[in-house]
Amino acid sequence: MDTPAPKLFFAGLDIGSTMSKAAIIDAEGSICGYVVGPTGAEHRHRANRVMEDVLAKSGLSLDEIAYIISTGYGRVNVPFADKQVTELTCHARGVAALFPDVRTAIDIGGQDAKALKIKNGKLIDFLTNDKCAAGTGRFLEVTAETLGLELNEMGRVSLQSARPVRINSQCTIFAQQEIIARLSEGEPLPDILAGVYIAIATRVAKLARQLKIEPPVVFTGGVAKNSGMVRAMETVLGVPVLIPPEPLITGCLGAAILARDEALKLISRGEFRTQKKQLSEAHIEFTEKAA
Amino acid sequence: MAIATNKGLYLAHEIYADRSRRVRELRKDGKKIIGYVCLYPPVEMITALGLIPFRVFGNMDEPITAADQVSITVVCPFLRSIIDLGIKGKFNFLDGIAGAHTCDVGAGLILQWRDYVKDTPFTHLIDIPHTDHAPAIEYFQHQLNSFQRHLEEFAGEKLTDEKLKRACELHNRQRQLVRQLYDLRKPDPPLLTSSENLEVLVALFSLPVDEGNRLLEDVLAGVKERKVKPPAKKVRLMVWGPVFDNTALYDLIEDAGANVVVDDTCVGTRAFWADVKAPCELQALAQHYLVDIKCPRTFRQAEHAGTRRDYDRDLDSRFSYIKKAIKDWGVNGVVLQSVKYCDTHGYEVPNLRHYLDTLGIPGIYIEHDYSERSMATIKTRVEAFVETLG
Repeated sequence: MDTPAPKLFFAGLDIGSTMSKAAIIDAEGSICGYVVGPTGAEHRHRANRVMEDVLAKSGLSLDEIAYIISTGYGRVNVPFADKQVTELTCHARGVAALFPDVRTAIDIGGQDAKALKIKNGKLIDFLTNDKCAAGTGRFLEVTAETLGLELNEMGRVSLQSARPVRINSQCTIFAQQEIIARLSEGEPLPDILAGVYIAIATRVAKLARQLKIEPPVVFTGGVAKNSGMVRAMETVLGVPVLIPPEPLITGCLGAAILARDEALKLISRGEFRTQKKQLSEAHIEFTEKAA
Repeated sequence: MAIATNKGLYLAHEIYADRSRRVRELRKDGKKIIGYVCLYPPVEMITALGLIPFRVFGNMDEPITAADQVSITVVCPFLRSIIDLGIKGKFNFLDGIAGAHTCDVGAGLILQWRDYVKDTPFTHLIDIPHTDHAPAIEYFQHQLNSFQRHLEEFAGEKLTDEKLKRACELHNRQRQLVRQLYDLRKPDPPLLTSSENLEVLVALFSLPVDEGNRLLEDVLAGVKERKVKPPAKKVRLMVWGPVFDNTALYDLIEDAGANVVVDDTCVGTRAFWADVKAPCELQALAQHYLVDIKCPRTFRQAEHAGTRRDYDRDLDSRFSYIKKAIKDWGVNGVVLQSVKYCDTHGYEVPNLRHYLDTLGIPGIYIEHDYSERSMATIKTRVEAFVETLG
C-alpha cells in the first residue's frame, strides 16, 4: 500500500450535571485533546459544542473519529454517540488508565458523589449519593455564595486553619445556617471553611467505607481541584489520595478508552461498518497490530 | 413491556391497567369484595365463604396528599399510598378490609382505615406473631379462628370443612400454575418478560381465584405458542424485596440490558412458592402463612437467636431457597430493592448481601420511595450494575 493508512481516533463525552467534558484518544491511548466547559440547560446543544471544541483542539474532523461513547447525566442527549455507558464504569476505566494499581476511587461532581471499587482496572462495586446536594460540589458553591468568596479562594483560605469547627448538619440548607451561626459567634473564617471541607469529606468517606477502602485511593471530579478539600479527604480517610493532573476528565477519558475497546471488539468480529474505505483499511491494520 | 400479546396476556394487561374492573362487575351481581393488605390474611378463608379477595396496592403515579393528615411521613410510602387512596374514595368498591400485623405500619393502616375510610362495613386486623416457634403458630391459629368467626358473621354463613377444602384446592392450583409461569423464564432467552409476568400476577390479585386460574391457563398456552420471544441478554437478574406492584422497575432493569428471570418479592414468588398442605384446616393455614411464606416480617433467624456461632447455619437456613432459585434460573446478579423506611427488609439486607457474597453472586441495593420519580434516580445505578456484570 503506497498511501499510509489514516490513524484511528476515539472520543468520549461526559455530559455532567454541571460540567461537560470531552476527550479524544488515538489507538495507543494517548490523549490528542480534551475540553471542559459548563453544561448549562441545553444538553443537546452543549454536546455538539463540546464535540466541535474537542475536535478543533485535536485538529481532527468528526469523520476521523471511529467510535464515540457518551456518559454522565446527559449521556442520552448526545445524538452522534455510538453507545452510552454510565459514568460509574467510565470513571473507573479512566482512573485505572491513569493509575493502573488503583483499588478505590472517590469522585465528587457538581451534584453527586460516588465511591468506586476497582480491581484489575475494572469496576467491581460502587455506591452513589444521588439527588442530594450534601457532600457534592453544589454544597461548596452554596457555601462560597454564603461567604461571598470565589471557589478557588476558599480552598486556599481553609489551609490556614489549625482548628476546624464542627459542622454537624448533613443537609446543605441547614449547614449554611450553621455556617452563619458560627460566623456570628466569631469563629475565624479559615476554621469555618476547613470545617465545611471536613463535613463533606466525612459524608463521602461514609460511602467509601461501606465498600471497604483499600489503597491506592484516587480522588477525582471538579471538587478534587480544591486544595482544602484534598487535605480534608486525606485527614478523614487517614490515607494519602492521588489526584490526576486534570481530575475533571477521568470520565470522558474512560469513555474514550471504552470506545477504543468497543471498536476493537467489533473490528475483530468483522462487524465494524464504515462508509469510508480508507478507514476500513486502517481498521484492518489496527486489528493486526492489536492481535 | 409486552413483546407480542395473546389472549391471556392481553386480558392480564387490561386488568393491570384497571384493577377493579372485574370486581366492580361482580359487586353489581351481589358479590362482596374483601380487600386485603400484604400476603397474610388467608385468601382461602375469604374465597370459601363466597367472598372475593382483592389484594390492595397503592398507586405509584398518584402523589400522596390526603394521607399526610392522618399519617406520619417517615413511614412506608407504599402503605401511605394505600391509606391516601382509601381516604380519597378510590377503594369504594370494597365491602371490607383485612390486614395483619405484618409490620407496625401495616397494622396501623387497618386501624386508620377503620377510622378514616368510610363505607367499609367489615374491617379486621389479624394479630400475627413475628416468630415461627410452635407456640407462635398455635397463637396464630387462634387469631385465624377469630378472623373466621368475624368473616362468618359478615358473610352470614358457616365455614364448613368442605368449603375450606375446595377453596384450598383452587388457591393451590393457582400456586402450581404460577410456578409453571415462572418456569417459562428458566430458558435463555426467557419466554416471558418480567413486566408481562408482573401484569399477570397483579391481575391474579384482582380476580376471583377460578377466573385467575383460567387466565393463567390461557397465558401459559399462549406464551408457548408465540413466535416473538424476549431478546437474549448476557445478564440474568433476580429481584428481591418488599412489594413492587408496578412494571416501572422491571422495565428500567430490562432497558438497562438485563433480563429479570426470577424474583423473591411479595407481588411475585412469595405468595405462590409453597402450597397449603392437606388437610386444609386452620393449622395448615397457620403453618403456611407464618412459616412457609418467606418474608422478613417473620424472624426466621430466631431458631439460632442470631448468635455469631451459628451465623453461617443461620444464613443458610434463612436464604437457601434463594440459592436454589439462583441455580435453577441461572441468575448472575441480584437487585435488592426496598421501599424507603421498610425496616423489616432493611435489616435483612446486610445478611443477605453477605450470603450472596459467599455464593459469589454480586448484588446491588437500591431504595425508592414508591414513586415513578424515584425510578429516574436509580436508573444510572442499575445500568452501572448491569455493566459490571456484562
